[in-house]
Amino acid sequence: MSKSGKVFWHILRRLSQGVPIILAIVVLNFFLLNLAEGDAVDVLAGEAGSATPEYMAELRAKFGLDKPLPVQLLVYLKNVASLDLGYSFRHDMAVSELIIDRFWPTLLLMVTTIIIAIGFGIFLGLMAAVGLNTWKDSVISVFALITYATPLFWVGLMMIVVFSIHLGWFPTSGMETVAAFYEGWDRVVDIAHHLVLPTITLSLFYLALYTRMMRASMLEQYGQDYVVTARAKGLTERRITFVHVLRNALLPVVTMAGVQVGAMIGGSVIVESVFAWPGLGMLAFESLFARDLNLLLGIFLLSSVLVVVVNLTVDVIYSFLDPRIEVS
Amino acid sequence: MKTLLKSCVLAISLLLGAISAQAQKSGGTLVFLVQPEPPSLAAYVSTSGPIGLVAPKVYEGLFDYDNDGKIVHVLAESHAVSADGKTVTFNLRKGVTWHDGKPFTSADVQFAIMNVLSKVHPRGPNTFSEVESIDTPDAHTAVLNLKKPAPYMLRALSAYESPMVPKHLLEGTDIKSAKLGNKPVGTGPFKFVEWKKGQYIRLDKNENYWRKGLPYLDKIVGRFIPDASTRTAAMENGEVLYGAYGAIPNIDAVRLKKRDDISVTTDGYSMINPMALIEFNTKKGAFVDAAVRKAISLAINREFLIKNIWFGYGKPATSALTSNFSATGLHAAMPNFPAKGDTAAANAVLDAAGFKRNSDGVRMTAVLDLIPYGEDWRRAGEYLKQAMGDIGIKLDLRYEDVPTWLRRIYHKYDFAMNVNYFYQLPDPVLGVHRHYGTNMIRKGTHFVNSSRYSNAALDKLLAAGMIEPDATKRSAIYKDVQKILAEDMPVVNLFELQFLTVYNTKLKGAYGSALGAYGSFAEAWIDD
Repeated sequence: MSKSGKVFWHILRRLSQGVPIILAIVVLNFFLLNLAEGDAVDVLAGEAGSATPEYMAELRAKFGLDKPLPVQLLVYLKNVASLDLGYSFRHDMAVSELIIDRFWPTLLLMVTTIIIAIGFGIFLGLMAAVGLNTWKDSVISVFALITYATPLFWVGLMMIVVFSIHLGWFPTSGMETVAAFYEGWDRVVDIAHHLVLPTITLSLFYLALYTRMMRASMLEQYGQDYVVTARAKGLTERRITFVHVLRNALLPVVTMAGVQVGAMIGGSVIVESVFAWPGLGMLAFESLFARDLNLLLGIFLLSSVLVVVVNLTVDVIYSFLDPRIEVS
Repeated sequence: MKTLLKSCVLAISLLLGAISAQAQKSGGTLVFLVQPEPPSLAAYVSTSGPIGLVAPKVYEGLFDYDNDGKIVHVLAESHAVSADGKTVTFNLRKGVTWHDGKPFTSADVQFAIMNVLSKVHPRGPNTFSEVESIDTPDAHTAVLNLKKPAPYMLRALSAYESPMVPKHLLEGTDIKSAKLGNKPVGTGPFKFVEWKKGQYIRLDKNENYWRKGLPYLDKIVGRFIPDASTRTAAMENGEVLYGAYGAIPNIDAVRLKKRDDISVTTDGYSMINPMALIEFNTKKGAFVDAAVRKAISLAINREFLIKNIWFGYGKPATSALTSNFSATGLHAAMPNFPAKGDTAAANAVLDAAGFKRNSDGVRMTAVLDLIPYGEDWRRAGEYLKQAMGDIGIKLDLRYEDVPTWLRRIYHKYDFAMNVNYFYQLPDPVLGVHRHYGTNMIRKGTHFVNSSRYSNAALDKLLAAGMIEPDATKRSAIYKDVQKILAEDMPVVNLFELQFLTVYNTKLKGAYGSALGAYGSFAEAWIDD
């Protein structure tokens, strides 16, 4: 069978394996979330100030919360099977609509962050490894350590203090200048302008991770026999580093990136909160406290699908990075 | 010579007058803080705070109230109350239209009160409990026929408390889930345009507003910024011009106040009257005995709490009612509310009641629940733990998330002592009765009598206070109410909270209503 045919079958098989995993995640999440005290009606009524018990019972019946849990679960699974994520009673909107609305800002933040974090991470890790034990290595290592150890919210707030309040270069928060309501290219530029601080903040954290990982990975590869062979062949250090070592050293970094894409959806809650970025993380966070379980389950479902897909993608990338790894 | 001097003085004073009465400027966009993001904009179903920040710009009430609490006629051009207090007639303003172009008529008032507010509004059933029917002799007259006089009702007709909603958009729908909830259509100065979840709500000027020349602003945008520090930064940066109800935490407000372009006010909350308090479980646990509750009230240094945790914004409570009710003669200061606390007196009360200290000096232990609405309440809990320790009551603190906490206090009654705050609203009938009446022990309903305190004498007084039209007699009734409550203390009032409104001085004219941030902003303008 040709390689592309193999890859195709591999993807198909992995996807079919993903279905029971996602199903299990849904069921598990459903029961876990229902363990929490109180429900959406409590929160709505609590916020409203006061509500009669009859009114609350009526709401519960309307939301379907008066049915036994297994029935609620079956209803939910049936809906999901027909690609219907249900209804958020709190927002009075379809869950899919809410999620898609918030998915683009998250994706935007996530993709720019990953590109910057991995790009600079690989570059800095490489520099550190090539210049092992020189000042370059020390500076990069210390930088990585500091950014990794600094809490995200603090970095975010300091960014705002320095670049928004004192220098006035960037807006403090939000995704757009809401007073202006720009259209077309002006809007793209405006969003890009708002994207800078949250991206840098979030990237700094991951950047540190990738830098350290890349450095370690490069150093490990330098010790391998094939490097000795390459040297013996008379290859230049430059060629050894960029063609042989770099390519092999990338593998663990790619693995890590795959794992983290999933985490980043939830992991950016802090950055979303500090910069009022309208992403999925905040939506999930708020729905947890509002006990908006339909919405929360929808977000979890999306994240689990995303993790399965990204990991699959990573596997395929492996086979290109290192032809010895075959998809089977 | 004299006339010359006179005319000079006149000219100067005219000139000065012209300078001080700056011309309002039309145009501009007001970006203000809405915190947290509201669950919906259905002001007729929920009194949730953030809804109140947005909806009263779109909907209007029959009345508004000025900073002295006096009635300002809005959708009602005038009103009359019959001699027996049982008929209230509203003459409605002519030429008012809903944002979709349909005329506003007495049928809307009838529908709003009878079918919406007294049915699905959280407080409406109380406000309008005495309304038997509403007659609509013509399109601009609405006559409310009451079972008994209800003087308090006229204090609850603002856009925030009792919004007038369009009959033609709600009739025949399930009111609680009508489309109107997320896309409000009112008669107010601003029209709803767009709600970007997680980002902002946009309202545009109503070009056909019945008050000619108003509103001044072209747009109002309510922004959601989850992080308090970022909200402060946005205020400092001028990205937002207005934030009320603690959107800017007190700790930052006292810092921002020093800037030339930012001001802080405590005005605009007199229709709300928030009161910080402790609710006790009077049926079960450590605080069944009124003597213990009294001792706790005695031991608390209310000034300390205000000064150190709320940065001086607050006023020690002196009875079960807020001192703002002095305006209507209802408030009377009572004993057992020492502003600085009196540990010795508290200990004496506990000794007399026979609560002995064990070898560790502990008389009793209990768990103190804290309202999960922010860090200030946690600090208050820490103070209380220490203060109660001084009188031999050992407290453990519990801080849960909102749904869990609501369940514990109002469904399961599984608590002993709970720090909370209640809105006393513009009249005790609306905001205070729910805390003490036997008929307000309602399992599963939030923010009512969770103490399960029941006292027939008090119930009788509350019932009398509700319908008494005579101010002197009414104040005598409430004096007795406060006397009973100062002895029994099912709830210990701590202090009158003063919420802060932080605003950019560029923004003018947004502060004329007693409702403050819950007002219409029709007269707000930006001075660039």
